[in-house]
Amino acid sequence: MKLELGRIKIHDVQFGPETKVEKGVLYVNKEEIEKLVLEDERLIGAQVELARPGESVRIAPVKDVLEPRVKVSGGGGIFPGMINKVKEVGSGRTHALVGAAVVTCGKIVGFQEGIIDMSGPAAAYTPFSGTNNVCVVIEPQEGLETHDYEAAGRMAGLKVASYVGEAGRNVEPDEVVVYETKPLQEQIAQYPDLPKVGYIHMLQSQGLLHDTYYYGVDAKQFIPTFMYPTEIMDGAIISGNCVAPCDKVTTFHHLNNPVIEDLYKRHGKDVNFIGVILTNENVFLADKERSSDMVAKLAEFMGLDGVLITEEGYGNPDTDLMMNCKKVSQKGIDVVLITDEFPGRDGKSQSLADAVNEADALVSCGQGNLIIEFPPMEKIIGTLDYVETMIGGYEGSLRPDGSIEAELQIIIASTIANGYNRLAARGY
Amino acid sequence: MALLITNNDKAKKFCMDCRKEVEVIYLADGTYLDVLLRTRDYVHRGYRLLTHPLCGSVKPNQTPYRSVLLEKQSAREENFRSVELIENSIDAARKFMRNRGTPRWNERTREDFKTVDLSFLTVYEQRNYV
Repeated sequence: MKLELGRIKIHDVQFGPETKVEKGVLYVNKEEIEKLVLEDERLIGAQVELARPGESVRIAPVKDVLEPRVKVSGGGGIFPGMINKVKEVGSGRTHALVGAAVVTCGKIVGFQEGIIDMSGPAAAYTPFSGTNNVCVVIEPQEGLETHDYEAAGRMAGLKVASYVGEAGRNVEPDEVVVYETKPLQEQIAQYPDLPKVGYIHMLQSQGLLHDTYYYGVDAKQFIPTFMYPTEIMDGAIISGNCVAPCDKVTTFHHLNNPVIEDLYKRHGKDVNFIGVILTNENVFLADKERSSDMVAKLAEFMGLDGVLITEEGYGNPDTDLMMNCKKVSQKGIDVVLITDEFPGRDGKSQSLADAVNEADALVSCGQGNLIIEFPPMEKIIGTLDYVETMIGGYEGSLRPDGSIEAELQIIIASTIANGYNRLAARGY
Repeated sequence: MALLITNNDKAKKFCMDCRKEVEVIYLADGTYLDVLLRTRDYVHRGYRLLTHPLCGSVKPNQTPYRSVLLEKQSAREENFRSVELIENSIDAARKFMRNRGTPRWNERTREDFKTVDLSFLTVYEQRNYV
């Protein structure tokens, strides 16, 4: 499967009468976006605001972040099973507005998602301080059930990202990157002397506000399967998770998975990147057993020499992570884990809630318990009303002048457990 | 027969109305940690865990609600894995609580936490767990 990803670089975002891209500037029609979001009867308010890198702007509470993309050729449409019909994606050509993002925000439930600062010391912890953001602040109908509101918010983000992405359809990209993974036997034969490496991609799938979707299917309903990495770049996986700001894998991160990106960079040089094994994170131990058995079986069947594993979330998923690690290792395959840590504020407690002897190689993406300071910002997109009930916030977090003291985990993607950040732990 | 230990009335109701037979221990005034400690008692009496005691990514010092499903097993079967998981979970919960206690949430927020906690259990009705 071969995908040409046309990267259209965006360095500014502005309102305009027509949604289009011109000379690297993304213009968006505010009214059209608001109308699109309000087509959903579950939502009664939609307000579009822009946030650019370096501005004195704080966005909160954030639900999801998405990169606008459009499928130009090759069959299927972006976000299959959600926005477009279920049809295999990952081939042909896709255009991405790189440097632009759609951010959905607004109150979701009583406890809330996190913060994006566009400037100041907290901005360095999130990649979305560096993107030109089209923020959609949504407001639900009074009395809407939690499940319905989550779904409405999720769909609003997908709709707006697809709408904005459409502006890139006929724009000549600044660069075109080609990604290709061949069917198993051909892929092994292409680089017979290089180690065969796979990526085990664990999706959050525990329940309400903890879900991820694969071609429109709730990930807890599938059994582990093989994916060509380029399918993921076309939006075959989307996020419905909004409980852990720091390490949630937003839809943006699915589209721009750094593990896949880096494995492709080394593909044919020092590794032979065979593909992705997709799996879930379950609540019932029997489901964990079945899924991890299947992951190990697939890894063995594909003839892998080594795998990287990423998880999403803390606690329960650590058990899935360790079961995958143990069972894949027992097949004689080398395993490296990638995760973030919650070792308490002094860093002295156990980082993960579970461990096995086979887990002897781990890349850390930082620890979420660190306390940091947020200076006041001139403009707030959304509201600061919920800072103290956000994950990472606490009583007294928000001061009268608008400054905040909170744990690092309140910032969107600050310790994201696939490495799309700058935090790490190093051994010396 | 399965056993639910919970301090969430929504989870209690779900299990009592469930088409599978579930015995319920409802700790009306119990905390998250109380549910884990009671779970440990039952694990040491020979029950095995059906669900992970830390399910959800809402941290143990954020949500006040916890539900754990267990099952009685025969004396011949070992349940070391359950012992290990509940002990690790209690350690993890205490670690978070040492850091900061659970906030005093308003009624609406407590209801949302209950709904999320319940959502972890609902697949139980659709699947066989042996």
